[in-house]
Amino acid sequence: MKNIFKKLFLSLLVLAFALQSCDDFGDTNIDPLSANEINPDFQFSFLQLRVSGERYENWRTVLIYSSTMIQHLAALPTYWSGDKYLYNAQYSGSLMERCYQQQVLQSVDLINTLENKLAAGEEVANKLAAARIWRVAMFHRITDLYGDVPYSEAGKAYLEGIDFPSYDPQSEIYADMLKELEEACAQFDAGQPTYGSADFIYGGDIDKWKKYGYSLMLRLGMRMTKVDPTAAESWVKKAIAGGVMDSQDDSAKVPHTDGPEGINRNGIGEVWLADNSQKMSKTFIDWMEANNDPRLDAISYVPNGTAQKGLPNGYDATTIKEFLGLDPTAELDMGQFSAVNTSLVTTASPMIFMFYSEVEFLLAEAAARGWGGDAATHYNAGVRAAMKQYGDLFDASAAVADADVDAYLAAHPFDGSMRMIGQQHWAANFLNEYEAYANYRRSGFPELVPVDYPGNVTSGKIPRRLAYFEGERANNPDKLDEALQRQGMPSAFNQMLTVPMWWDKQ
Amino acid sequence: MEKRLLLFTSLVLFLSMSAWAQRTVSGKVTDDSGEALIGVNVLEVGASNGTITDIDGMYSLEVKEGASLQFSLIGYSSQTVAVGAQSTLDITLEEGVQLDEVVVTALGIERDKKALGYSVTEVSGDDFTEAREINVANALAGKVAGVNVSNIATGPGGSSRVVIRGNSSLTGNNQPLYVVDGIPIDNTNLGNAGMWGGQDWGDGISSISPDDIETMTVLKGNTAAALYGARASNGVILITTKSGAKRKGIGVEVSSNYTFENIVNTYDFQTQYGSGNRGAKPASASDAVAFGLYAWGDQLDGSQVIQWDGVSRPYSDVGNNLERFYRTGSTWTNSMSLTGGDDNYNFRIGVTNLQNEGIVPNSGLDRNNFTGKINAKFFDRLTATLSGSYIKEDVRNRPRLSDSPGNANYTAWSLPANVDIETLAGPNGDGTDETGGENDFNDNIYVTNPYFAAYHFRADNSKDRLLGNLTLHYDVFDWLYIQGRIGMDTYNERRTNLEPYGTNYTPLGSISERSYDFREVNKDFMIGVDKKFGTIGLNAFVGGNQMKQNIQLVGGSGNTFNIPFLEQITNTQNRSVDYDITKEQINSLYGSVELSYNNFLYLTGTARQDWWSTLPTDNNGLLYPSVGLSFVLSDAFQMPQAVTFAKLRASWAQVGGDTDPYQLLLAYGLFGQGHLGQALGGITSSDLPSLTLEPLLNTEVEVGLDLRLFNNRVGVDFSYYDRKTERDILKAGLPTTSGFNTKVVNVGELSNKGVELLLSVAPVRTTNFRWDLSFNLAYNKSEVVSLLDPENDQELLSQDESRTRTAYIFQMEGQPYSIIRGYTYARDDNGNIMLDADGLPVVGDIENLGEGIHPMTLGLRNTFGYKNFNFSFLLDGKFGGDIYAATNAFAYLRGLHQNTLDGRETGEIVMPDGNTTKLEPENVQDYWGRVYGIAEEFVEDASFVKLRQFTLTYSLPRSFIEKTPFSGISLGLVGRNLAILYKKVDNIDPESTYTNANAQGLEMFGVPQTRSFGFDLNVKF
Repeated sequence: MKNIFKKLFLSLLVLAFALQSCDDFGDTNIDPLSANEINPDFQFSFLQLRVSGERYENWRTVLIYSSTMIQHLAALPTYWSGDKYLYNAQYSGSLMERCYQQQVLQSVDLINTLENKLAAGEEVANKLAAARIWRVAMFHRITDLYGDVPYSEAGKAYLEGIDFPSYDPQSEIYADMLKELEEACAQFDAGQPTYGSADFIYGGDIDKWKKYGYSLMLRLGMRMTKVDPTAAESWVKKAIAGGVMDSQDDSAKVPHTDGPEGINRNGIGEVWLADNSQKMSKTFIDWMEANNDPRLDAISYVPNGTAQKGLPNGYDATTIKEFLGLDPTAELDMGQFSAVNTSLVTTASPMIFMFYSEVEFLLAEAAARGWGGDAATHYNAGVRAAMKQYGDLFDASAAVADADVDAYLAAHPFDGSMRMIGQQHWAANFLNEYEAYANYRRSGFPELVPVDYPGNVTSGKIPRRLAYFEGERANNPDKLDEALQRQGMPSAFNQMLTVPMWWDKQ
Repeated sequence: MEKRLLLFTSLVLFLSMSAWAQRTVSGKVTDDSGEALIGVNVLEVGASNGTITDIDGMYSLEVKEGASLQFSLIGYSSQTVAVGAQSTLDITLEEGVQLDEVVVTALGIERDKKALGYSVTEVSGDDFTEAREINVANALAGKVAGVNVSNIATGPGGSSRVVIRGNSSLTGNNQPLYVVDGIPIDNTNLGNAGMWGGQDWGDGISSISPDDIETMTVLKGNTAAALYGARASNGVILITTKSGAKRKGIGVEVSSNYTFENIVNTYDFQTQYGSGNRGAKPASASDAVAFGLYAWGDQLDGSQVIQWDGVSRPYSDVGNNLERFYRTGSTWTNSMSLTGGDDNYNFRIGVTNLQNEGIVPNSGLDRNNFTGKINAKFFDRLTATLSGSYIKEDVRNRPRLSDSPGNANYTAWSLPANVDIETLAGPNGDGTDETGGENDFNDNIYVTNPYFAAYHFRADNSKDRLLGNLTLHYDVFDWLYIQGRIGMDTYNERRTNLEPYGTNYTPLGSISERSYDFREVNKDFMIGVDKKFGTIGLNAFVGGNQMKQNIQLVGGSGNTFNIPFLEQITNTQNRSVDYDITKEQINSLYGSVELSYNNFLYLTGTARQDWWSTLPTDNNGLLYPSVGLSFVLSDAFQMPQAVTFAKLRASWAQVGGDTDPYQLLLAYGLFGQGHLGQALGGITSSDLPSLTLEPLLNTEVEVGLDLRLFNNRVGVDFSYYDRKTERDILKAGLPTTSGFNTKVVNVGELSNKGVELLLSVAPVRTTNFRWDLSFNLAYNKSEVVSLLDPENDQELLSQDESRTRTAYIFQMEGQPYSIIRGYTYARDDNGNIMLDADGLPVVGDIENLGEGIHPMTLGLRNTFGYKNFNFSFLLDGKFGGDIYAATNAFAYLRGLHQNTLDGRETGEIVMPDGNTTKLEPENVQDYWGRVYGIAEEFVEDASFVKLRQFTLTYSLPRSFIEKTPFSGISLGLVGRNLAILYKKVDNIDPESTYTNANAQGLEMFGVPQTRSFGFDLNVKF
């Protein structure tokens, strides 16, 4: 008997030891650190910074490609592919590589959330309208750089189960973007709440958003002058009637701070912490010098303190010596070349999306085309705004006095030509490089002389677009091929750069 | 040496001792040469009492009247002898493969090997202590058929990759579950290099010291592993640590092992042309900087040519830069253990210290293991086992791999022949310039000075780990037992990662610190019976387990050091915090029934039900059954004289697996620290979640034959298996335009079929000379059957990408696991390479270029014993796999590869299709630069045969040490990875993947493989 009790006791002891405090799952699989929804204000703030971008794509597509192809900047190292019309897959595709996850996904999600709230009777009209305008600002840069891109099906893997988005024809993307701008501008309602200070661009000012929306309509309408002048005229007139930007304060820009993290910083300013090879292009410096442009010493400086001297595009560390007439064994002093005013763009500088000056040049062009308004008035207002914008919006060290602007305008009166508008438009978009590159391809001004560096992939012509992100060949091949065929494009990525896009009709 | 093995088997006795013997038998056990055998198991048949022989081969045991004794020792044939009236019973055991071998199976249950319906391989602890690997898992290479061990090019302290019978999950974990003394331990890889660089932060199994291992048992198939449930779907490796044993006084064992290691230099770059561009030498220092990584200059002619630092040096080959940069590494391991015990308890305490200096300057690791184990018996039948280890690992400067920033290997392999790497060390000898920042020698800020990378970057981590385990086992009756167990694995990893102030690509520097806490607790119980009913035997149990895992991460990072060179996170201008919590739980119930008939027919059935916290609550469980049959032909039928033993086995089993926590919902979160006083928020998931996940299912059929011939002189163990994974939980790569990186889905199907052969032969066996040969061969044919869409059979799943962005690892339907795809030459209809207007090859489409995993592995070991000398070597080979050698691609781009000599004078280059293209000689670099982007050129056959291991040991004769306090002394010469006997790939070592992740087949500037050679001393007293 005693033995049995002992056995029972010891058995229970062993079992109790192993079975103590066994329990079920409870909330084990609920991630304590994340939520299942987010305040749209937080997401709009986030999205503004995301579209402003990181160092990654600002380095690659903005600086290495756009700024050098457009001859605002120049650089010697061969990895500055745009300077030499070389093809670098990783740089060419970088905006496309990043923007769909970092920008498009959040934008699509935000608009979906707001549409659901609107349908549920919440007062989110102003938030939705601003989000729709910002979506157009984001998307037109993508299509202007790459042509047909995923648009209507992009970023919808979660919402609609579209894992492999199709590429929309650029003509349809433009049609939808213009429709979106028109609807969004009409959606604002002064009686409803705004994002307030969660909106870094306009602080919730719906009038400014409306002006921005119509100004984008003006930009996109004008983009169609080559391919569809009738539609261009109609949209431009609609935009002007809606009311576009009319002061420096209306310019669309995202403010940045130096940290605490990468997302807070201006991506271009961040590049310049690491890469100092970019110089002012000889084309840009020479043009300003020839015209006694007061911007010259405001936006550019020479490290050696010598006279302004741009670096020609299309040279490397060896060939530049021939150009300069130096002996091959001589040391090259890069300090002799003009560089961007170091205070102009820092990690804490704003990122520009649309200068007011651009609007004036678009209006000048519209007037010159006979679509209403006085071209000279808009031209003069544009030049004044363009010359003062770096001082007004960026840094006081880049300020230009009104007297200098007056003198400039007096010395260079508007002659009514598209060339003059185009040149000023090009200069005014310095630091807004995606737009400068797009407008150059449309307007053909200024008449840039292409470079012919050995091994370039464009037969010595300025690229008409950048090649798609190559990851699409691996991960979305069917939809990519469909887009290539539709656009009559070669399948080799390095041969894509010479193919004009829909609105760039030759 | 093998006799130490028996300390373990002796445990069996302690668990089954009985006190009601009635008389005493004693005697001596010897081998056929009359040498005393230590540690022989002596068991009373049908009872639970027994003992083991002491160092003189003597035993003494109290037995019942009419008892029979069974004597067994691994490596010898067992004998069962009736005691009769004798009080002294001397026995001679014959050497041979032990037939009644007891092996450890799932959940730590010991079974007769002949009862098993599946394949199990045991590797003795000695196999890991003679010629050592720092990560003990790497020492399995070539030793077990069907176990594929990859040597990863990460340097010491790096992770292992062990895959048993092929990869069973397309994107999930494919490594086995490691179980130490019955408790699962964590083997998570704490970080790997990827296409953008990084370093391997080590894994879990690297904590284990080989000195503490008694045996490692590999449970290969699903049937073997079924009782471990989900986490065992990739097989199980059971590690049994050493125990003490009954003995007089305290036993002491000391061993010391010292090895040198240096690089296996497989590089053969061209030495005819020097640095420069378009056929010209650098004319100025800025030229030399601009083209510092390019050997497109002139023929080396010995003339004085200016270099990056403005100093002119002879334009001639400086000899081997790699051997200048990498140093001779060393590893010193010292261990000591104390053992003791009597009939009621035994213990072992072990301490091991390992100090390693890696071949990359300023890198290395230290590891200290403290281990204790105590077995004690209470109240006759209650046994308690308490074991635990404290492990402290410190790794200094884990080398960066793959992409260039901070990767010393990248730079060391990218220098033209006329640039002496030692000049890059600069005025201070550590890669700094006068300002203390990085000494620039080229114009690409992302290609870091190798000395600066080695001496100023930091990637250190240390791990404090505690493994503990308490088991209570109570034999209620002779035939009924119950057992309870609690085990814990907990560790803290502290990590510091520094990009120093003055680094070219980040001039103001950055630093991150993190503390990672892992804890897993397993609780289990078991109730079992073991009884014979005449010729029918029953062995059965039921049990349950609860696994809880908690992970917490606290970290911070900062950039922009305020005070130059004060490299502390508190000195950074911009800081951010990192915090994460992960919890997971699995509850399980399981049971097993084994029926035997007349000791020759065994039928075993098992079942396990798992419930996971990570799956949707309404569908979070799955039942895994298994059935195994073993038929010992040689016991059932009269066999020819030549057949010593013959067994057929067959089994079928299913196991499943789950996914990571928090995969089911789209997650939103906050980013950074806000902006201008506003919060930043949005979708944080980069993987598209799924609400409908189910457990994956892995089904395996295995048949096998175990045959021993000619009195155990020949052994054949053959297995065939067919395993299929269904409903695999995948992270399918999505196009970036979808908004996500990957999608979590539940549809993958994968098949692995293979054969395994183990052939053991003893060609010579005399009193003084013995030759044993063991050959293992495995062939695994993997096939990706189905991916995302069951309707579409052309699907692809992206796994990884090379930094060159021209080669990828994919899963592709109808293809083997982990195939290499990449850009090809564009060819016309006749197969000729198409040229563009400049005479350069046109880049074609992405196509399949090879398979990243070797289907065939083999190992051949020869062991020779002559008197007290023992000589053994192991050949390890793998065949049929390929590797994309990015190092060779860069060697084309930079003009370093021998092939790039073609055309430098004439401009004529013979292309792979046999045609010739003609360029201006100064433009030849454009041709090779273009080929850099054509992955087809760099995917090569990675097959190899290596002389993996070599040992020569001498044991002092017993007669020599008899009068000393020592009971055994042995001395050894040991080596690992001594030679590559066969390889096909250019320049690189065929074992050069830089990650232990599933995507195998990409190489790029890893730490070179090393050969090591050293000494081993072992003393027992």
